[in-house]
Amino acid sequence: MTLEMVQASQVGLKAIGAGLAVGMAGIGTGIAEMGIGSAGVGAVAEDKDIFGLALLFTVIPETIVIFGLVVALLLLF
Amino acid sequence: MLKAKPMSRLFIAASKDQLEPVIQELYRRNLFHIDDFVDQTREGYEGFRIGMPLADASAASSDLLKIRSVESTYLVKPEETGPEKKQKTADIRALIERDLPVIEKEAEEITERKSMLETEEKELEQKIDLLKPFVQVPVDMDLLRGYQSLSVYAGYTNRDVIPDVPHECYYSPSKTGNFIVLIVQSAQRAVAERALSDAMFQMVQIPEETGSAGTAIERYNARIGELKKELAGIAAKMEECRKKHADFLLACDELITTDVEKAEAPLRFATTDQAFVAEGFVPSAEIKGLIDAINAATGGKSYVVELPVDREHDIVPVEYDNPSFCDPTQLIIDTYSRPKYTEIDPTLVVAFIFPIFFGLMLGDVGYGLILLVLSLVMRRFFKSGDGARLVKTLMIFSFSTIFFGLLYSEVIGFKLFWEPIIFSRHMNIGGEGGPGAAIPQLLVTSIWIGVLYITLGRIFGIINHARNDHGSHRTKTILGNLGWILVMWGILITIWAYFTIPLMIDLTRQTPVVAGFTPGAIGGLLMIIVGVIFIAQENVLDIFEVPTIISHTLSFTRLVAVGLSSVAIAMVVNYISIGLIIEPQLKSITAVGAVIIALGVLIFIVGHIGNAALGLIDGALQSLRLNYVEFFTKFYKGGGKKYNPFGMKRKFTED
Repeated sequence: MTLEMVQASQVGLKAIGAGLAVGMAGIGTGIAEMGIGSAGVGAVAEDKDIFGLALLFTVIPETIVIFGLVVALLLLF
Repeated sequence: MLKAKPMSRLFIAASKDQLEPVIQELYRRNLFHIDDFVDQTREGYEGFRIGMPLADASAASSDLLKIRSVESTYLVKPEETGPEKKQKTADIRALIERDLPVIEKEAEEITERKSMLETEEKELEQKIDLLKPFVQVPVDMDLLRGYQSLSVYAGYTNRDVIPDVPHECYYSPSKTGNFIVLIVQSAQRAVAERALSDAMFQMVQIPEETGSAGTAIERYNARIGELKKELAGIAAKMEECRKKHADFLLACDELITTDVEKAEAPLRFATTDQAFVAEGFVPSAEIKGLIDAINAATGGKSYVVELPVDREHDIVPVEYDNPSFCDPTQLIIDTYSRPKYTEIDPTLVVAFIFPIFFGLMLGDVGYGLILLVLSLVMRRFFKSGDGARLVKTLMIFSFSTIFFGLLYSEVIGFKLFWEPIIFSRHMNIGGEGGPGAAIPQLLVTSIWIGVLYITLGRIFGIINHARNDHGSHRTKTILGNLGWILVMWGILITIWAYFTIPLMIDLTRQTPVVAGFTPGAIGGLLMIIVGVIFIAQENVLDIFEVPTIISHTLSFTRLVAVGLSSVAIAMVVNYISIGLIIEPQLKSITAVGAVIIALGVLIFIVGHIGNAALGLIDGALQSLRLNYVEFFTKFYKGGGKKYNPFGMKRKFTED
């Protein structure tokens, strides 16, 4: 195995790591938002005034995927 | 600014014969927010009672009901109609007696006729549905029923049925279901029924018709055609009536609504047999004028006085007191919750920060222009109300996006003619070379924004507690908030002491003083310890919340992350459509090449429209969330009562 090959695979592994960071964080966010979202839609159907609050609750887990994205960016650059 | 409009408490007492002039004056002024009187249900209570409506209340209510029903017949909606020309109330009053019964009768007749025709149409359609399967059966409908010794089965099966008894059968297979009509002697029906049930028979009713099913359907369809024509005539007539009466109806509606509201006002007052008392709130700037006006209206026969506002116990209604450009932002704040009278109104801060966050994320001249065009188009459709406010917000967003686009030097993913003025977000997509995006600098900037914004939120929290709490609780809550600030900055300073980070203060080169700790590290750690103690003295359980300091600060990195993803999508769209599809074809243009170029242009347009839409939704939601979750949770309680003065802004009538 030459030095170039090692360097190339390092770059590749970094990219895989970045992909995993975003992808898995996204799955986590999705799972978290699943319950909140369905409950939120149900609540909004009952009372339209709480749309803002329901939306707020739904986007709370979004932070997780942002963390994933930040980690990915740090890995890549 | 940063505060609700100052309110004063107004107390009105007078004898009951002054009830009407007081109500008239209050309604006309549209300033007095009535504090509803609540009846005491205590046993043996003798004192104020809820008042009775004025004499003409029930007549006015029933008139209003009639007007609303005519309005709904003709689909006249006050909120969707702009005032063409205000009508004089005196004229309307004169016309109501004469014209309203006629209009009402006409509307009633039209509705009745319409619903009759519609019912008939529906019935005929049902009959046709029942007849449809029998069209394939070559037997008149009257031959399928009325037998004593024969049994007739009609319905759907999954296959043809041939029972082992003498029978007559009409079978018509089709995709939607195989229809069968089977006639056997009643004595042998058991055999036939078994055979049918083996074939999953589902019975249908045999319609009571004469002649063939086809002709019956034709006959019904002809009648439906006539009905449709008549209904169209009625719709045209309704439209004509709507045009003719809309203005009058809206004016009547408004006039009678004011009558009803005035007549029902005593239900919100406290009364005795001879007198009444009304309490409520009036903007402080207007109270003097209102007191004078009521005194003038009653000829001095009333006791009107300003009472002191009890900031702790009174539920003071909240009216925003912000510059007019904050108007759209107030909608955003209301979506969360209206501020309480005693707390800081963050509208002004959010009005500046919200578009800045949005611009930081989307930041692209091209997308900014797309949003600007979109908002200009939408402005034609939304002239007033919440829609117009949203359009205004969108327009502010577009200006912010263009501004940051100029700073980032970005236009739909391409570079403008200059180097980025702040940090570059141009990535190496498609191997174009160049220095690439300044990711660390961008991330650190976003964290700075987060730290400062959260600190501002905590300072607001301190001010709120300093203003509204008392005694030891006040000290505790203020120290608690200070603790949160100390921990956050302590963590930051400790990090500075050990790591060199671009765009942040570098404390790593200090010489250690005690046990290998530099002054920076000692200071930072001390701040953390003191901060945690401050937090704990307010509420010990809050210690578990300390990690949210880090997560909330890091949450601000979405300003960069979301922005970079939108840039990345834009650049990928450009690379695919131009770099991979259009450019190679341009070298030697052929007929096929022209088609491929068209495809490339299509990808370019669809890609960028999609990205602009994503950028708009994501940018708006994320900056909204940063305000709601990361900023408001630090100081904002909300739950204020909306200032809703007694009176009406008249649209269709005038005195």
